[in-house]
Amino acid sequence: MTHKAETPLLSITGLNKWFGAYHALRDVDLQVAKGERIVVCGPSGSGKSTLIRCINRIERFEEGRIVLDGLGSAARGRAGQREIEEIRRQVGMVFQHFNLFPHMTVLQNCILAPMRSLRETRATAEAHARELLARVRIADQADKYPGQLSGGQQQRVAIARALCMRPRLMLFDEPTSALDPEMVQEVLDTMVALAEDGMTMICVTHEMGFARQVADRVVFMDRGQILEVAPPADFFDSPRHERSREFLGRILAH
Amino acid sequence: MSRYLAATETDARPAPDRRRTLRQILIEDFFYGPGAILCTLLLCALLAIAAWKLLDWALLDAVFGPTETLDASQACRAEDTEGACWAVIGDKLRLILFGLYPYDLQWRPGLACVLMIALYALSVQRALWRPALAGIWVVFLVAVLILMRGGIAGLEPVGDDQWGGLPVTLILSTFGLGLAFPVAIALALARQQRRFPMLQAASVGVIEFARAVPLVVVLFMASVMLPLFLPADWQVSKLLRVLIAFTLFGAAYLAEVIRGGLQAIPPGQYEAASALSLTYAQSMRDVILPQALRIVIPGIVNIFIGFFKATAIVVVVGIFDLMTAAKRAVADPLWQGFGIEVYLFAGLIYFVFCFSLSRFSARLERDLARDRAS
Ligand SMILES: Nc1ncnc2c1ncn2[C@@H]1O[C@H](COP(=O)(O)OP(=O)(O)O)[C@@H](O)[C@H]1O
Ligand SMILES: [Mg+2]
Repeated sequence: MTHKAETPLLSITGLNKWFGAYHALRDVDLQVAKGERIVVCGPSGSGKSTLIRCINRIERFEEGRIVLDGLGSAARGRAGQREIEEIRRQVGMVFQHFNLFPHMTVLQNCILAPMRSLRETRATAEAHARELLARVRIADQADKYPGQLSGGQQQRVAIARALCMRPRLMLFDEPTSALDPEMVQEVLDTMVALAEDGMTMICVTHEMGFARQVADRVVFMDRGQILEVAPPADFFDSPRHERSREFLGRILAH
Repeated sequence: MSRYLAATETDARPAPDRRRTLRQILIEDFFYGPGAILCTLLLCALLAIAAWKLLDWALLDAVFGPTETLDASQACRAEDTEGACWAVIGDKLRLILFGLYPYDLQWRPGLACVLMIALYALSVQRALWRPALAGIWVVFLVAVLILMRGGIAGLEPVGDDQWGGLPVTLILSTFGLGLAFPVAIALALARQQRRFPMLQAASVGVIEFARAVPLVVVLFMASVMLPLFLPADWQVSKLLRVLIAFTLFGAAYLAEVIRGGLQAIPPGQYEAASALSLTYAQSMRDVILPQALRIVIPGIVNIFIGFFKATAIVVVVGIFDLMTAAKRAVADPLWQGFGIEVYLFAGLIYFVFCFSLSRFSARLERDLARDRAS
């Protein structure tokens, strides 16, 4: 395993979460080092989204700790509002359905949070946003509205928007699942470039090519539990857990 | 199945012309069978008769003013006059429009009406749908108040017991809506949130109370009961009390419409705002409300139309609005018996305002539907 630092950037211990009576996350432990790239996979409904949504506190949890570099160390997700905001400033998130703000242009989408939350001036925020839009190769669309862009372009804007907050950790929740097949690659390329720049990333995805190319570790979840953690080559070529094998058998069948 | 390979590529062609000639429309929609022919002819005949009678009464036989031998009132009462007496409108126009406002100063309520109409015209411009619109409203409404009340800028003071007619109707609906709007947003947000249950309960209480009690009752309570609760030396004029009742009433209905808009925003928008570390207030102001309000603008316009017409009910508590002014005009012995003409005229004013608003609302719904489709 390629742990790149002694103290992890993100440390999840004994995480448990219920939706009403349903036990959605069960005793989840995961340490993520700075610069590490994690791919999370598993069957639908296994708790992957719930796990990464707990990390930036979009979802509350009942037991355990999720500590981001000292932040959020109080037990049971009872971080105060200020602390939650600080965590969210440091963690960027990209959603399956982009969730761009449709009433704002691409540029406005990108500068809103830096201006409000980081208190950047408009000039600083705009300059930074244009730089990042250029990096996701979409600089010429800055003044368009999200509805005028293709799915792949929208998702790249969403990535740029998250990066505008200068996050230390990026979360991706199936960023290519809602895309037409011909647009998947442009988004994956953007994510690969981000990984090569050293960003710490946790990606929920079933794109095996991407996982093999950039992941340090693959985390396999089923029924709210982490069942296997392994480097991508080991995981895809010789899965150990019985349900990992079943799962890979199913997604490789076609 | 055997293999297929396209041998040629088809170029795009223009769509076939689907327009119909007048002849085709008539045959296909109006005269397509015995029943349809009968129906069309019958309705055309009825329409023609009604139109002729109306034209006769309203124009051909109508009296518009004095003749060589008779003054206007006498002309209307003459034996051979069977048409409408529009002369009464000309004679009572100022009373109907401006009530008992000092005659020489009536340019002020006139200008106030123009300002409020201009405000509507500005508010329906989609390019102006941004927070700055609230500022425009404040400026216009303050200007209207100054014009009506006077007392500063060298304008002679005029108490609101002397206001009357169209400006009062416009003031009740415009100020009522303008004040109700921020209250409604607060009520809708309070009802939607989960963090402060007391606040939520209070909001539900206010909304459900105002919606469950008829407006007339709220008006009587405001004009009779409100003074009992206020300190004796607080002079709150009747117009202001009625305005407060309207505001409360309008806010409750608006709040429910706005809440519908809030619920129509996908959860992903709230999540994205949170994930970007926006606070509750920031995500509401910048992300959620701009979208939610845009969705419910047709609903808001509909409430405003209802609101505008509902102001006529203040007759019962003795506020001098357009409707009361019409009643007063007919009370003049000189013109007794010509109520139909006066009420038709007042109705026409209501119609012009409400119909323009409803046309605007229809156009808007079409535009919004097109935006969503694209
Ligand atoms: N808001 C919610 N309320 C109730 N149950 C939920 C909610 N969100 C997710 N779940 C349930 O929790 C389980 C895990 O969901 P999720 O994390 O979305 O799975 P995945 O992302 O792996 O497909 C599923 O069984 C799902 O039905
Ligand atoms: Mg999911």
